[in-house]
Amino acid sequence: MQASWRSLFMNDLDEAVCAKCKAEFESITGNTCLYCDASGEGVCADCMYWEQTEYAGLIAKGRCLYRYNEGMQSYFHQYKFLQDVILSEVFAKEMNHALAKVDAVIVPIPMNPKKLKERTFAQVDSLLESARLPFHHFLIKNEDVQGTKSKMERMASSPLFHWNGETVPKKIILVDDLYTTGTTMRHAAKVLKDAGADEIELFCLIRG
Amino acid sequence: MKELEDFLTGRVWLKEFTPFPQSEIDQAILQGFVTRIPGITDKQECSRCLEKSVNLTSFYCEKCEGDCLYCRHCLKMGRISSCTELITWTAPSPRPLKTHSFQWSGHLTPSQNLASQQVIESLQINRSHLIYAVCGAGKTEVLFAPLYEALKTGKRICIAAPRTDVVLELSPRIRAIFTDTVIHTLYGGSPAEAGFAEIVIATTHQLYRFQNAFDLMIVDEADAFPYSMDPALKRAVMKAKKHDAPVIYVSATPSVQLIKGTPGRSEIFRRYHGQPLPVPRFDSLWNYKKRLRKNSIPKKLETWIRLRLSRREPFLLFLPTIELIEESIPLFKQLDAAIEAVHSKDPNRKEKVMGLRQGIVPGLVTSTILERGITVPNVQVAVIGADEEIFDAAALIQISGRSGEGHRTFQMGMLSFSIMELLGKWIEPKIR
Repeated sequence: MQASWRSLFMNDLDEAVCAKCKAEFESITGNTCLYCDASGEGVCADCMYWEQTEYAGLIAKGRCLYRYNEGMQSYFHQYKFLQDVILSEVFAKEMNHALAKVDAVIVPIPMNPKKLKERTFAQVDSLLESARLPFHHFLIKNEDVQGTKSKMERMASSPLFHWNGETVPKKIILVDDLYTTGTTMRHAAKVLKDAGADEIELFCLIRG
Repeated sequence: MKELEDFLTGRVWLKEFTPFPQSEIDQAILQGFVTRIPGITDKQECSRCLEKSVNLTSFYCEKCEGDCLYCRHCLKMGRISSCTELITWTAPSPRPLKTHSFQWSGHLTPSQNLASQQVIESLQINRSHLIYAVCGAGKTEVLFAPLYEALKTGKRICIAAPRTDVVLELSPRIRAIFTDTVIHTLYGGSPAEAGFAEIVIATTHQLYRFQNAFDLMIVDEADAFPYSMDPALKRAVMKAKKHDAPVIYVSATPSVQLIKGTPGRSEIFRRYHGQPLPVPRFDSLWNYKKRLRKNSIPKKLETWIRLRLSRREPFLLFLPTIELIEESIPLFKQLDAAIEAVHSKDPNRKEKVMGLRQGIVPGLVTSTILERGITVPNVQVAVIGADEEIFDAAALIQISGRSGEGHRTFQMGMLSFSIMELLGKWIEPKIR
């Protein structure tokens, strides 16, 4: 990071996204998991596990844009937890390039309505809005604090979402901010498939 | 309730993020002990850092179910928005006078003593005062007697400094002297402290969280970045103190406004150990950036470092950019693997500086962030690229002030080119 009097004084490093800051984010390239973009060829161990459960065959393929490195961690912290809403603009161009031409309906992972009031904004919706991408909600998040659970608990947890009753399109691309174990996505995909979706793809900004 | 009063007296704090149960706060509000303040005022200003509406960000808020403003300026202390509230203790109860101890056996030079008496006189008539003194003049010692006088009359004191390094260096010294006084040290990420602090030692940033709190405000290193550059921090100082409380500014390189704007003044132009401020030796170091990037240390610089290493003299090597530090540190490590790089964002900053003091680290390659508040006996200093904008006059004077503070010898300043420009920077403040 460049430290000049100007950049320190103007708070450029924290507030605007210059090329230097962007270079701190690590794009995902090379061989990755078909479903979740984890490093390595073929299908990763986690997704292999999912494909042996009742969630098998739900997802056609998946894509994530960035790895969860140090730069991304501080971005994510400031955006989601310090609620710096304007940071939804940071990846607008990249999100737009990745999703503008897909012929599926974009379905964001929703927040629980009570949680949404507390946080004051839906971080996935805001990312999509900044990227000028149309989206539609078909899911409602059940009340639960997921972040506090262990990986095993998450994989085995009770349904996270229910269907909102609106007619579900055949082709869907599910969008979330951060992919960690895949539980959220599998649960969401299952509800949508049961509600009538044919083909479901995944898209996440960050692969944790 | 006593703990809540101690905590909230003179403080403004986000209602949702206090260390107290929400029920206790709600009860105190009902009883009128605690006042609620809207996060963003009617005049569209942040209640905590006083940032104005033009710099506030608006968004559609699910809590407000409409437009909402939030402040990015003090975001890292927890977001202030139109739908958040700050709380403060409404009417602090009078505190009985308590006895403070004063454990200091050092002595002041005549000029320090004079300054100290002048500060006390200013405080008696509630007049703001500037201590204008060269680096190494022993400015902190000048404050000890006035601090004790103020404590004796039941005054609540804040000692603010722009940077965490300075706060961390100041705090143990003050604590060692006023052993019966409740002293809190506040900086980004500082541990929580209990009780009502009679002395608060804080970075100027932390003052956003105070309001109408202090009877005496001391701003140390009043010329230092970022305080010198940031009007919000100056507003914070004014907001944190009581309306008619005096401010004591301490500076080696005060601005003209500070000199003109402060009614009381003391000047000390001799350093504590009697040595004048070292005048740097200038030397050319052509193409140093290119050389360092091409993996070689310019010969002159290498010789200088090797001499320090052979004499076991601790050294500070200032480079103009963090990138250059990162690029070149492997080269310096070839001369001695224990040489370390340190910059403002370095999480191990404290340990590395400590290592230099203890002689474990022979030298530090650093940016300007270390220019103040470091006292290492017999430290040798070289400034590479002294003509770069980042090394402005105040910074260069401070850097030379690092050398020999606490001890004697001073070595040299080294620069790349454009000597004229640098000399200009040196001569200008001296003429003024």
